[in-house]
Amino acid sequence: MRALSGARLLWVEYTTRSPSSPSSSSSSFLIPLRSVLLIVASSSSSSSSPVSSDRVTNKKQISSGVFIVSLYILGSLKSPWSRRRRKHALLAKQWKSLFDVDDETNSSVSESSDDPEDTKPLLGSMDTEDNHPYEPVASAPDKLETQPASNKTENFATWRRIIRLDAIRANAEWIIYSPSQAEVSEEKARKRAESVELKDYDNLEPCRIYHAARLVAILEAYAVYDPEIGYCQGMSDLLSPIISVIEEDHVAFWCFVGFMRKARHNFRLDEAEDCFFVYRMVVVLFRRELTFEQTLCLWEVMWADQAAIRAGIVKSAWRRMRLRAPPTDDLLLYAIAACVLQRRKLIIENYNSMDEIMRECNSMAGNLDVWKLLDDAHDLVVTLHDKI
Amino acid sequence: MAEAGGGEEYLFKIVVIGDSAVGKSNLLSRFARDEFDHNSKATIGVEFQTQVVELDGKEIKAQVWDTAGQERFRAVTSAYYRGAVGALIVYDISRKSTFESIKRWLDELNTHCDTTVARMLVGNKCDLENIREVSVDEGKGLAEEEGLFFIETSALDSTNVNKAFEIVIREIYDKVSRKILNSDSYKAELSVNRVSLANGVDLSKEKNGALSCCSR
Repeated sequence: MRALSGARLLWVEYTTRSPSSPSSSSSSFLIPLRSVLLIVASSSSSSSSPVSSDRVTNKKQISSGVFIVSLYILGSLKSPWSRRRRKHALLAKQWKSLFDVDDETNSSVSESSDDPEDTKPLLGSMDTEDNHPYEPVASAPDKLETQPASNKTENFATWRRIIRLDAIRANAEWIIYSPSQAEVSEEKARKRAESVELKDYDNLEPCRIYHAARLVAILEAYAVYDPEIGYCQGMSDLLSPIISVIEEDHVAFWCFVGFMRKARHNFRLDEAEDCFFVYRMVVVLFRRELTFEQTLCLWEVMWADQAAIRAGIVKSAWRRMRLRAPPTDDLLLYAIAACVLQRRKLIIENYNSMDEIMRECNSMAGNLDVWKLLDDAHDLVVTLHDKI
Repeated sequence: MAEAGGGEEYLFKIVVIGDSAVGKSNLLSRFARDEFDHNSKATIGVEFQTQVVELDGKEIKAQVWDTAGQERFRAVTSAYYRGAVGALIVYDISRKSTFESIKRWLDELNTHCDTTVARMLVGNKCDLENIREVSVDEGKGLAEEEGLFFIETSALDSTNVNKAFEIVIREIYDKVSRKILNSDSYKAELSVNRVSLANGVDLSKEKNGALSCCSR
């Protein structure tokens, strides 16, 4: 078992983009996915048996990824979030108004309050190092006024309900990787659950109640922070590993925000129709296909690539380091294409309908080797990088 | 499975719909594999199971489709309804709100499928009698009003799960026999609905279109 630590998982957000970027950046992942699958489908037979790359390559890349993501914790780097503009806290009244079932627009909460007590519910009962609670970015609360057309019947009350349903049924795979949280007392767990109004957890062990309560606090805060996406089923799958290794809610929240900056585009479902057979892989980034540990391997390599790009490590430098594949922002896309490609022959020869392909893709769960997947994905990066 | 020319083959596509966490996936796993998962997670995307049922000495394949309950996923799932000849509309008897959503689910079903689809209203989790929020009469009442079959089930203790599917399958079979409903249309749809990634790269062009989906 590989040792897991918060440092390894923590994704450092170097970007200097404007803090309001959640809603303003690029389009969904699914359009490029379509073109990669197209190229995979139409590429010559030589690419169906790619030369397997040296596994050491990946290990090296992972080491550098771990190194990069660990910088924030290990080094003396200033918190990447310190640049983030902080805004005034919500008033208790404003916060409560978000929970009003009949309040369809989740009325504006851009007014300010100076009482730090009021933001406690935002991240559960959190402790901030400087007694200055983290707050939604400037533009986020204003967006509460306009629910996007894509989920017109969904509002904060809906999300709140679904978040709790999903938090209660989060899986228990994380427990062995987080001994301190595994041993949480029943009293602490119940208190925590009470603080986020979690119910119907009587059949759960204390550590899972505690985990569920943390999921609720952070997911709810995220839904306020990014009301365009709000909560979409699958997000709890993405958050669960993060809170398993990061014990403080506010740190976990901002890691999640960093994670979602890219992943949130996958939750825009209006472009998904053509790719619904790999849809689950897109939405939860292989979390359902791979084990907990394998998932973290894949995510870390993805994050390392993204961090390398943000840090300006360009192609040539990468070549000097004798690594075959240049870092890519879209490793997830290549990984999905790679696992479809692994089954290309089977699919072409035996399957006649979308249904059968979908079943094949769904059946990959539990049958993927993350190292082979990364090898193949990197081969595709090399092969296709210039074509796309 | 292809018995070239031998006997009729039936493939019925049945969709399971309803709010999040009403037990759609567990109804399906109970029916298809006689399994129940206490920690069943939210379904992401679309899944299906095929179960063979014998009816009047004929072998019928029920292809039962399952999807996420969250509203937002509807955008992904118009393909979900395509070719469906039966539907289970599920609520949780211990959560009134899931029952109140039924009308919305029916509206959605009506926009995607024609009215000949065999429909059944399913009140799931009937093992939770002590915390029941929707009475049997309320369920029956709505079903009569909307012209649906009605049954209460428990995926947990297996109550009525097979029966629910069998009633729907029987109804579809009767409709097909009376030529009200043409299940070939689904087969035809499947053979047209080949894998086309982007615009028209058809992976299965080399095969002729006559294969039915049952001939794998």
